[in-house]
Amino acid sequence: MISWEVLGAWISAALVVWIYSFAYRDNALYKLAEHIFLGTAAGYSIALALDSLNRVLIRPAVTTPGTFWATSWHYVIPVVLGLLMFAKYSRRYYWLARYAVAVNLAVGTGLALRAVPVANIVRQITATILPLWGSDPVKVVNNWLMVLITVGGLTYFLFTIFPRRVEGAPPSPTYQVYRALYYIGIYGMMVGFGALFANTIMTRVGFLISIYLIYLQPQVWASIVAAILAAIAIVLGALRKR
Amino acid sequence: MSGRISLGRVLESRELLYTLLLLSVILPLLHPIGIPIEISVRTRDVYNYVEKLKPGCHVYIEVYYEVAARGELEPNLIALTKHLFDKGCRIVYGSLSAFGVVAFSLFRASAADLFADKVYGRDYVYLGYIAGGEAATASLAKSIKGTISVDNYGNRLEDLPLMKEVDKATDFDLVVIVSSGTDVFAYYVRQWHTPYGVPLLFVALSVIGPSIEPFVGAKQAIGMLVGQRAAAEYEVLVGRLGLGMASMDAQSTSHMLILAFIVIGNVVYWSKRLSSRRGGAR
Repeated sequence: MISWEVLGAWISAALVVWIYSFAYRDNALYKLAEHIFLGTAAGYSIALALDSLNRVLIRPAVTTPGTFWATSWHYVIPVVLGLLMFAKYSRRYYWLARYAVAVNLAVGTGLALRAVPVANIVRQITATILPLWGSDPVKVVNNWLMVLITVGGLTYFLFTIFPRRVEGAPPSPTYQVYRALYYIGIYGMMVGFGALFANTIMTRVGFLISIYLIYLQPQVWASIVAAILAAIAIVLGALRKR
Repeated sequence: MSGRISLGRVLESRELLYTLLLLSVILPLLHPIGIPIEISVRTRDVYNYVEKLKPGCHVYIEVYYEVAARGELEPNLIALTKHLFDKGCRIVYGSLSAFGVVAFSLFRASAADLFADKVYGRDYVYLGYIAGGEAATASLAKSIKGTISVDNYGNRLEDLPLMKEVDKATDFDLVVIVSSGTDVFAYYVRQWHTPYGVPLLFVALSVIGPSIEPFVGAKQAIGMLVGQRAAAEYEVLVGRLGLGMASMDAQSTSHMLILAFIVIGNVVYWSKRLSSRRGGAR
């Protein structure tokens, strides 16, 4: 007998195969899976947001009003601000939404600015001030690389004042240092992008592996079906190019 | 000839690469090769840090990932949870993402054995989805009970024994952020670590690793576990092999395939370029 759980697993597996079929060619099943995914995700987010509101505000306010108004009355403020957001659908009261947006932006900016200078600027600069000499050669090389690539990267993005080469004259030492750092910056970034690309591949392959392990692995024949589908896709892909 | 597919067409089609990639993932999973893995210094450091936590310590874990990222993050979360429970730590889970609720429920189901002898409310608590992004993160650091009054299942936080022991950022010995995005790591660095000095541990997707590396380099986090590789290493360390270890052979073979194709692509590119130069010289 087919249970809801088994049916759900089959639907999930089918949706996964349909989504991955896009790698071969855009098709109706992919579009169906995409629309189901987006619709479900949007609906689920709304449901969870409403559930959160119900759990934190509505239910306590209704079931234990005394405790709620004594301890959590301030929850009403964001709810009112949230409701004001809907005012933008009214031609007459659209301006009310600006108050909600203003408070939202102000709170966000205030909270971020409180810690950004230390967390994202001072600590990051401090982390690049490293000893360039020492007993551990690996650490010394790492520190040199860190300092040179940081300075090089910053030099690459220097768009205002930078040394220029005078036409016909030999390059000045300042210009030579600038160019050297400029290229160190470029190559440093290239290495960084390479690492990022490699990690991207690892993540995507990881997704594929986990999807396979979760849905298909228990049945070997399911893998055979997947391989047959892939072979069909190759043939179709090759025919399309003809 | 019509109706016939030339071998050249098939060889140069991207579909072939996708199929080979699919096979390089599936075959090692069906017939594991058992390629040995080495424990990296970074994973060992995280393990040693957790190992030093005292019984009865309190840990906050942010579950911030969607189902798609489950394969890379859940094995890390399971291995870490096992280690923390083995050390006698009590864990408060929370989610700043609505999808964290689904991720947590799947994680609970996958690691049912870890929670079998644990009592909800005393050994662990799940706060559920907490709306508000960075503002909510700052508010939680100041007071969890001041931010939300009930957990994911509608229990009043005041009634849960564990929540009587912890309320603010400084009550926690470690904060673990398991996230498929980048922003949430910065939220915790800015709102939990910078003002309160709470030690953070990052668990991220491989693709996110380079983005959060500066925080670890600047000692704003005690370390990070990145992707299935770190999960496999941690699974070996805690002695509970799972999805992380199972995927290592497939990761290795698929990477070897991609490397081979990068080499082939470069050889073909340079040979074409050189031959066209020679042709131009003539």
